[in-house]
Amino acid sequence: MLEFLGLALLAAVLSGNLCGAIGFYVQRLKITTLSFSVAHAALAGASIGLILNLDPVYSAMIVAVASALILGVIFTRVEYGRELISMAVFSTSSAIAVFAIYLSNVRVLATASIAVVLWGSLLAITVEKLILLLLTLFIFVLYILAYKIQIDSMLYDVKMAEAEGINVQMHMLIMLFFAGLIISSSLRLTGGFLVFTLLYNPVAASFQISRRAHMQLLVSSILGASSASSGLIVSYILDWPVGATIALVSSIILLSAYIAKIIVEAARRRCLSCPMLG
Amino acid sequence: MRFSEEVVKLKDVWVAYSGSDRPAMRNINLTVSLGKLLLITGPNGAGKTTLIETCLGLLKPYRGSAYLFGVDTRSWRVRYSRKMCGFVPQDFMKPPFETYTVRHVIRLGFAPYKSIFESLTEDENRRIQRISELLEIEDLLDRPIGTLSGGQQQRAVIARALARRPKALFLDEPFSSLDREGRKLISSVIREYVDSEGASVIIVSHDVNPIIDYADIVVKMENGRIISGEGYA
Repeated sequence: MLEFLGLALLAAVLSGNLCGAIGFYVQRLKITTLSFSVAHAALAGASIGLILNLDPVYSAMIVAVASALILGVIFTRVEYGRELISMAVFSTSSAIAVFAIYLSNVRVLATASIAVVLWGSLLAITVEKLILLLLTLFIFVLYILAYKIQIDSMLYDVKMAEAEGINVQMHMLIMLFFAGLIISSSLRLTGGFLVFTLLYNPVAASFQISRRAHMQLLVSSILGASSASSGLIVSYILDWPVGATIALVSSIILLSAYIAKIIVEAARRRCLSCPMLG
Repeated sequence: MRFSEEVVKLKDVWVAYSGSDRPAMRNINLTVSLGKLLLITGPNGAGKTTLIETCLGLLKPYRGSAYLFGVDTRSWRVRYSRKMCGFVPQDFMKPPFETYTVRHVIRLGFAPYKSIFESLTEDENRRIQRISELLEIEDLLDRPIGTLSGGQQQRAVIARALARRPKALFLDEPFSSLDREGRKLISSVIREYVDSEGASVIIVSHDVNPIIDYADIVVKMENGRIISGEGYA
């Protein structure tokens, strides 16, 4: 039992870490809406996997990566109305997901395979999935290190980077590809409807904690990992659905970071207006 | 890859922004060759920034054609032409919490020339030092850019553009945050750069002093049209 819990915990740390990191990049590169669509495409892919009797992780991966690449290519061709295209993909993916779940052979919503796709499950973590996560982490880190100066240039100023000849479209496409890969790898843990909370909550919390870009990346990764691992432990202890618990924990962390920021800023203002210091 | 000697060529170019019912730039014809300092001037809303961004292919014409070093800006190959360009945008200011140091910001200008895992050469680092001395920002190199004044940040971004040794330099309102001394210094540095490197510089500025004394050609714009200086530069 402990071995199985250790496996799930390790997967949670890796998933959270990866989601926090990719969340930082998609936010800084202003492709959040796109990644949101990719997250829902992953859900549609996982649901299609249910009908076709495939492993939902792999079908989610195929659909998420394909939609990330297609969206990325469309975005290099289309200058206007990009948000609307993203939203169209999001609505279509959600509709496909619901239809696929309806059409799948399983009749009861609480059935294990559907529950994994929708809400995530502790039991769904296997050694194979852990290796997949490790491999994703390895390739992602390799990419970030290999193109560090180009990515840094884009994070500093996308317009300048593009005007100077950096292949901004290619890097956006790669980031979306990783978003698709990371989302589908994490799907079994958090479930399709909640996976994007791990993508956005840690980065939103990191923005409350630090204003420095590199610190935000670090904090976002750490918060992602701690949200996923502590959510998993709480869900195990209280026998709650794992995906929802992780989403709740990450929301609580975000709320705490926001409150802490308000308190710190109020204290700072009080200090500045203190007559002794003033 | 072969490039044209013509830095910019705009043929009957019309550009419009999304949601706008009238074009921001209409029927523009302009050719800029190497070794020229071109000043584009005009009131706010004249289409100056649109023109500079169209030259770089950041905005695409809906009618007519734009070429950068002979490459159609609609083509994916325009990226290679851009590698020969430097660009200082109008909105260069970074907020106080931006922690990139000035040295780092200038180093980022070399990013398009780097292959994977490659870092800057000694020669490039020496060039950063030389340019920052030229623009009198050598004492600011290790300061976070967000903590600097507008004028200092503007000099840093101009240093980044110059450090790349571009064949074409596009400057959008490069004097907006500079004092008189700063404007004079930047103007003379730019003129010297054109003469020594044989490069072209295209400056967009509503304030023409003192750069007008250094410019080879002055183009005036109003309501999205060139009203004087259109044609070959």
